[in-house]
Amino acid sequence: MYRKQVRRRRAVLVLLVVACLMLISISISEADSGPLHRVQNGVSAVLNPIGEGASRALKPARDLVNWFDETLAARGENDDLRQQVADLRAELTETQDAAEKAGYADDLKKLMGSSGLDAYEPVDATVTAHSTSTWYGSIRIDKGSDDGIAVNDSVVTSQGLVGRISNVGGGFADVGLLTDGTSANAVTARISGKGPVGTVTPVVGAPGKLEFTLIEGGGEFDEGDELVTASFQIQGDRRSIYPEGIPVGEVDQAVPAEQDVQDPVRITPFANFDDLNEVTVLTGGPG
Amino acid sequence: MIVTPRIFLRLAAIVFVAVLLQAAFFSGVPLLGSVANVVPVVVVALGLLGGAVTGTVSGFAAGILIDVMVGGTLGVSSLALMAAGYAAGRWREGYDIVSSLVPPLLTGALCGVAALAYGAMQLTLGIDATVSPLVVREVVVQALLGALLAVPVFPLIRRVLRPALVDDSARARAKAASARAGFGGRSGPFANIRGDRGHLRGL
Repeated sequence: MYRKQVRRRRAVLVLLVVACLMLISISISEADSGPLHRVQNGVSAVLNPIGEGASRALKPARDLVNWFDETLAARGENDDLRQQVADLRAELTETQDAAEKAGYADDLKKLMGSSGLDAYEPVDATVTAHSTSTWYGSIRIDKGSDDGIAVNDSVVTSQGLVGRISNVGGGFADVGLLTDGTSANAVTARISGKGPVGTVTPVVGAPGKLEFTLIEGGGEFDEGDELVTASFQIQGDRRSIYPEGIPVGEVDQAVPAEQDVQDPVRITPFANFDDLNEVTVLTGGPG
Repeated sequence: MIVTPRIFLRLAAIVFVAVLLQAAFFSGVPLLGSVANVVPVVVVALGLLGGAVTGTVSGFAAGILIDVMVGGTLGVSSLALMAAGYAAGRWREGYDIVSSLVPPLLTGALCGVAALAYGAMQLTLGIDATVSPLVVREVVVQALLGALLAVPVFPLIRRVLRPALVDDSARARAKAASARAGFGGRSGPFANIRGDRGHLRGL
């Protein structure tokens, strides 16, 4: 009897491990339009309304927990913020002109206007599910191909770039975040106003941090320098996924001009990845 | 555990609700620089209560559901959760739960193992990014949050599955017998498990 149980246990284990390995292998090797992905998307489409309903039902509970968390954090930050307000007031008096341009909303509006983002059709969406691990930076939203969303469309918040659409179904879409270390989510970016071009990549295990590695250009960075997406086009059809000029983040630490910039520079993204509830997908676009 | 069709449905419901709660609630609530993951906690609890087969199958099902609902590589979450569920089940088959601290501590350790296994598989499959040493902190935080979550989750799942648990049925019979004889039974979610298992072995 005991031996039979042991044999059964081992058989179940081996069977399921083999099943997992086969699923991983097929999932990685087949195209996005392959049968396994189609089944995954089909099941997803069925389960999505349930997840969406649960997400909406549990939003008050989430907000309550986050409210406590933010209240506790706010108390700790109070003194720092007071000091910062005093510093900013002094700075404001000295540089009125620069301060006028400092409002991020104005910057975003200006960048959208000057870089042709007005040509994109914005689709507002609600986040219905978040990934369960820091290894996977992805979210699911409640809008999909029925709303005109397509794979590789850029996703932004009012603060800046969030990521791109990695998978889309009829009434849902998955967003690969900038912090996702498992997919090709590197962003070509440049320092706004200075021009050195590089790639922004995530730092796995350090949520909320990105790295900027130079491809070309000079190497002086000041703390607070803003990064925006840099669009490029090679040989006609090949072009970068993200449109030009979307704010990405700011430089954490100054790097003097005389220092040879080989190592990645730490970036803090503008978008708050811990609190993503509403996002906007830039659909369509020029051409 | 005696898995009748009704108990099977309960097990499926537990796994589904856990994944739903994870995707819709826990993943949106940052704690200690990470997010609590209730799914491995539930899988470990099912392994501890039902044995290795229950733990393994629950881990597999929960992993597939997560990958489908959140959009990951199919099979990766399953492998990590199966490791935790199988280990919990083997513990249950080899040792007694002699203290109420055992389930939370074991759950914490196995949540850490699941997080490590998941990370190792992602590294094997290829990560297009720098891996920070803070990943170690992530594993420790996952273990800590898993241990804390196990405190309410383990007794809750035990209560839901009570009709199928051999230990609990034997305990209920023993309690009823001692009540009839005029003696008070021991109470509490983990009380008297060792004695009951010993009693069963003697049968």
